[in-house]
Amino acid sequence: MAIRLYLSDDTSARAAGAAALADAWSDRPDVQIIRTSSRGAFYLEPMVERDGPDGRIAWFNVSPQDLPAILSGTGGTPVQTIPFLAQQTRYTFANFGETEPLALDEYQARGGLSGLEAAFRLTPDAIIDELRVSQLRGRGGAAFPVWNKWKVAQQAKGAQKYVVANADEGDAGTYCDRMILEGDPFRLLEGMLICARAIGAGRGYVYCRQEYPAAAARLRAAIHKADEAELLELNGEPFPIEVVEGAGSYVCGEETALLESLEGKRGVVRARPPYPAQSGLYGCPTIVSNVLTFATIPQILSRGGSWHASLGTEHSRGTMVLQLGGRVKHPGLVEVPFGLSLHQVLEQFGGGMAPGSRFKAVQVGGPLGSLFPTTGLDMPICYDAFAKAGAVLGHGGIVVYDHETDMVDLARHFMAFTADESCGKCTPCRIGSVRGREILERIQAGSGTMDDLRLLDDLGETMKLASLCALGGRAPYPVLTAIEHFPAEFRSKLRA
Amino acid sequence: MKRETTGCQIRDANDERRQTSDDRPNASDGLYMHEQVKDILDRVRSEPPNILQSLLALQEQLGHVAADMVPVIAKSLGVTTAEVAGVLSYYPDLRFSAPGRHIIRVCMGESCYANGCGRVLRHLQERLRADVHETMPGGRFTLDTMSCAGNCAVSPTVIVDRDLYGRVLPSQLDRMLEGYK
Ligand SMILES: Cc1cc2nc3c(=O)[nH]c(=O)nc-3n(C[C@H](O)[C@H](O)[C@H](O)COP(=O)(O)O)c2cc1C
Ligand code: FES
Repeated sequence: MAIRLYLSDDTSARAAGAAALADAWSDRPDVQIIRTSSRGAFYLEPMVERDGPDGRIAWFNVSPQDLPAILSGTGGTPVQTIPFLAQQTRYTFANFGETEPLALDEYQARGGLSGLEAAFRLTPDAIIDELRVSQLRGRGGAAFPVWNKWKVAQQAKGAQKYVVANADEGDAGTYCDRMILEGDPFRLLEGMLICARAIGAGRGYVYCRQEYPAAAARLRAAIHKADEAELLELNGEPFPIEVVEGAGSYVCGEETALLESLEGKRGVVRARPPYPAQSGLYGCPTIVSNVLTFATIPQILSRGGSWHASLGTEHSRGTMVLQLGGRVKHPGLVEVPFGLSLHQVLEQFGGGMAPGSRFKAVQVGGPLGSLFPTTGLDMPICYDAFAKAGAVLGHGGIVVYDHETDMVDLARHFMAFTADESCGKCTPCRIGSVRGREILERIQAGSGTMDDLRLLDDLGETMKLASLCALGGRAPYPVLTAIEHFPAEFRSKLRA
Repeated sequence: MKRETTGCQIRDANDERRQTSDDRPNASDGLYMHEQVKDILDRVRSEPPNILQSLLALQEQLGHVAADMVPVIAKSLGVTTAEVAGVLSYYPDLRFSAPGRHIIRVCMGESCYANGCGRVLRHLQERLRADVHETMPGGRFTLDTMSCAGNCAVSPTVIVDRDLYGRVLPSQLDRMLEGYK
């Protein structure tokens, strides 16, 4: 009988070599390859697993010629003993690496759809109350209490109401939404259905960035399967969910720009209020929430809001999904309760620095997130501590820079990004980012002065206070924290 | 917002210019373009009309959306030329002109930055003798950048057409490109 081998079908696992393995072994009669989601331990990918007496056994960084060893069962490691995974607390990502993404029966066998069933037994008010008890805050960046938004949308009047999943995942250094879309798509759909029942919505959209073609295709297939299984129904009425792809604009991840883009217009930020929950897509009450937020909701309904509230810290309940990248030794996805320090995360999970690299700084929260030097690593990972330090957790991206990083160039890179991506609606962001980039280019070219550094500071304050959305409002943070923590590097480039 | 918004000039739809880069018969014929555009738009028609999705559908079929097409598109969708031109010039992925046979995108996101995407980009610029947003002489490759492919844990990332490569070293690039003629 053919031996079952489990191999991830995640985009990053494929890029790491899983695709080549599947090709190389496709015509072997003695192996049966099952394509699963990825465990997110990307430094071990391509990883090949087989069933063992006590769970799966894994082989790491496999190349095609390793097949005989795998087939004879030599040299494997029990998955349960991999510290990177064993030390995590996986709820939202519990299925990852275990199941085939489109196997609805497996999803259900592992507790999938029980959140939706629980929601069907509750009134819309009771669903929202469960979320209030859970203290879940949105995972897309702004960390707004989810129940509050749902309450507003539920009470708002509209001929139609919409549920929109924000799958724009624009923050560089983040990939957990992509993993959910590709690896456990029914979890997202279940969360959207629960939301639709709570607010009384009749239609759902997933706005998926163009950079994620595999995710969009997988999600469309999952929607088709869910539809065939008659899951896309609420109160006897169809609840269609459609995937709509974007066109490469970062600011379209901002909820109001996203709605403009979904309507087919320029993805320009709208002034708020009214908030989308009051007046969103085509002027109707709309919940826009992040993919990870929706994927967290099914278990809150099935396990109860107080279960969720029992995890984490006072103002940050539940688990945080961190995504490690840059020069860490072990880049990958980490789901842990809030409260660990940055240092713990980088050592315990990141495994320290990549060979040959020395730590210089870590950036948390994407391209708009602050930089932390060595002295900032005792910072606990939770919303309140970050807010107090003027930083953000954002969508959980953590990028480590090593000793070779030129901080002036990095700061210029950040401002150039904002200048490219600004939607142009408000002046502080549109003009400020261009002026900021010019100043940094001047410093980089060796013709900057102390006045330029002061000007940057002043410009940063204006952008923080007066921008319409967090793109302009947060853009100064990575730049100003770079100057704050590495002043000598900037000064050494100034004209005497 | 995309940088070169000046490329979008509205011309008369019946202008007898080459509309597409490929060698389909009559592709340069204005009337033929008219029909082709309408055909494609009919397939994605919605109420209210969705300009972005219409332009993406056109680009999928034609490789790009030439500025000459704007009046036809506007008329067919029942919106103004300014609205169509506005959307066309806004999104980085919409192209006014035909790209090369293959599109290479180098990720410039922070994880890729930390892992040396700058060296990858410089190598490609030298090899292809093309700058970012340019097509190399002969039209084989167009060089582009992007900001995060969601492959950050296996970075730096390069995407050629629909193929995504991770942990890319400059020394591997020449061999990688050989696969694309
Ligand atoms: C410039 C900018 C980009 C954003 N990009 C994203 C994104 O890619 N994905 C996302 O979920 N939220 C993004 N947001 C946050 C959204 O505006 C919004 O707060 C979020 O989708 C709400 O979902 P949540 O409550 O589940 O967090 C962005 C915000 C700004 C200002
Ligand atoms: S930063 Fe390049 S793939 Fe994410």
